[in-house]
Amino acid sequence: MKKQIVHMKGTKDGFVLRLDDQCAYVELLDELKKKVLEGGIDGKVNVQLDLGYRYCTEEQLQELISIVQETEQLIVSNVHSEVLTVQESNLKMIESQQDTYIGVVRSGQVLRAPGDIVIVGNINPNGRVEAGGNVYVLGKLKGIVHAGVNGKKESIIAASRFEATHIMIADQVEVMSDEQLKAMNQTEMTCAFIGYEGRIAYDQIHVLKNIRPLLNVSKGGS
Amino acid sequence: MGEAIVITSGKGGVGKTTTTANIGTALALQGKKVCLVDTDIGLRNLDVVLGLENRIIYDLVDVVEGRCKVHQALIKDKRVDEKLYLLPAAQTTDKNAVTPEQMKNLIDELKRDYDYVLIDCPAGIEQGYRNAVAGADHAIVVTTPEISAVRDADRIIGLLEQENITAPKLVINRIRQHMMKNGDTLDVNEITTHLSIDLLGIITDNEGVIASSNRGEPVVMDPTNKASLGYRNIARRILGESVPLMVIEEEQKGMFSKLKSLFSK
Repeated sequence: MKKQIVHMKGTKDGFVLRLDDQCAYVELLDELKKKVLEGGIDGKVNVQLDLGYRYCTEEQLQELISIVQETEQLIVSNVHSEVLTVQESNLKMIESQQDTYIGVVRSGQVLRAPGDIVIVGNINPNGRVEAGGNVYVLGKLKGIVHAGVNGKKESIIAASRFEATHIMIADQVEVMSDEQLKAMNQTEMTCAFIGYEGRIAYDQIHVLKNIRPLLNVSKGGS
Repeated sequence: MGEAIVITSGKGGVGKTTTTANIGTALALQGKKVCLVDTDIGLRNLDVVLGLENRIIYDLVDVVEGRCKVHQALIKDKRVDEKLYLLPAAQTTDKNAVTPEQMKNLIDELKRDYDYVLIDCPAGIEQGYRNAVAGADHAIVVTTPEISAVRDADRIIGLLEQENITAPKLVINRIRQHMMKNGDTLDVNEITTHLSIDLLGIITDNEGVIASSNRGEPVVMDPTNKASLGYRNIARRILGESVPLMVIEEEQKGMFSKLKSLFSK
């Protein structure tokens, strides 16, 4: 039996369209068009495209998606691919890298980091730190910090003393008032993160382990 | 080969010029050959504070543009014999008349003949600041116990740290003892830890400083004044002596000494 080029499978969350990754791209397009037009589906259904090991350019991907969505019944919710370009992989690596800055971030200075950053020293008022990932401050945070600049909502900000004027995580902005700082009642080190309601929340530093278990890269301590 | 020290603050009106004049005079009184350079082109007043305004013939811009030799533009302060000189700023042009490279060459030239070259920096962080910092080896940041001055000092320290000079030193000017004691202003410790740089000295607020500036003679000339003592201590610290920090609390006068001072009038 000839191997199916486009394989449709039903799952809990809708359909998965598994596209063969060995055949020619043109062949795939034809087959996909046929399969989609077969129909037999009522109402709108979410589909997941599984590209396997085929590398698609952005235009090709858009073409595939538009073919599937032509029927107006199938909606592509997700595209899964096993391939990663060198560029994308480098970007991922930069984002996961950790920088260390030793010294004071002073008024008017902007410190930028592609991934996480550890600052050993104070961040003075009007000093600004922008990081693609998390920001850890071993000192007083009295300035402005933006964690997850590129939209990484899981980012957190932790500081020995939290006296910031502004806090930003991904697209959330928080202006810190004196009352707020008092209410935080800092007897221990504090961290900020995006809570369940999608707003910035604060807590003592030990809760991080439960809120962001993925931050814990190092194993051991048993 | 001498050392060039820039005196800066970011904010205006905290006492850069007064500090320059006084530290310079104090160093000269200690027997060092000192040259003061006013880089506040267009708004010069170091000459006024020193009482040398009427002796200006050539100025910094004339030197830089080659209209005269450096020694022709320098004004000797006769009160401190052969030790204290001033290179005044121009008043008729602005800060863009000079480039940082020209300033650096000028300061390097002066460093050959003087033990200390003190550069009085204008307020702000623009061209004038860049000119003043260009030739400096060390920096002194002047601030007052006010939050706005401390903020600007923080900014300027950040900028100085990017220059090729040694770590800046802090002078806290205009300390009002009673306000600091009551916690109405930031205290010396708070300011120093906030800015996290070494403290070079503290100067108490004192009417004598203003009075003597208006007379055109630096307050350091008056050995009984408390601010004068502060400036003398700073000069000694620059020379490498270790001098303990001045006690800023006003002495509580007892009943007896009050009576005594009453009768001695």
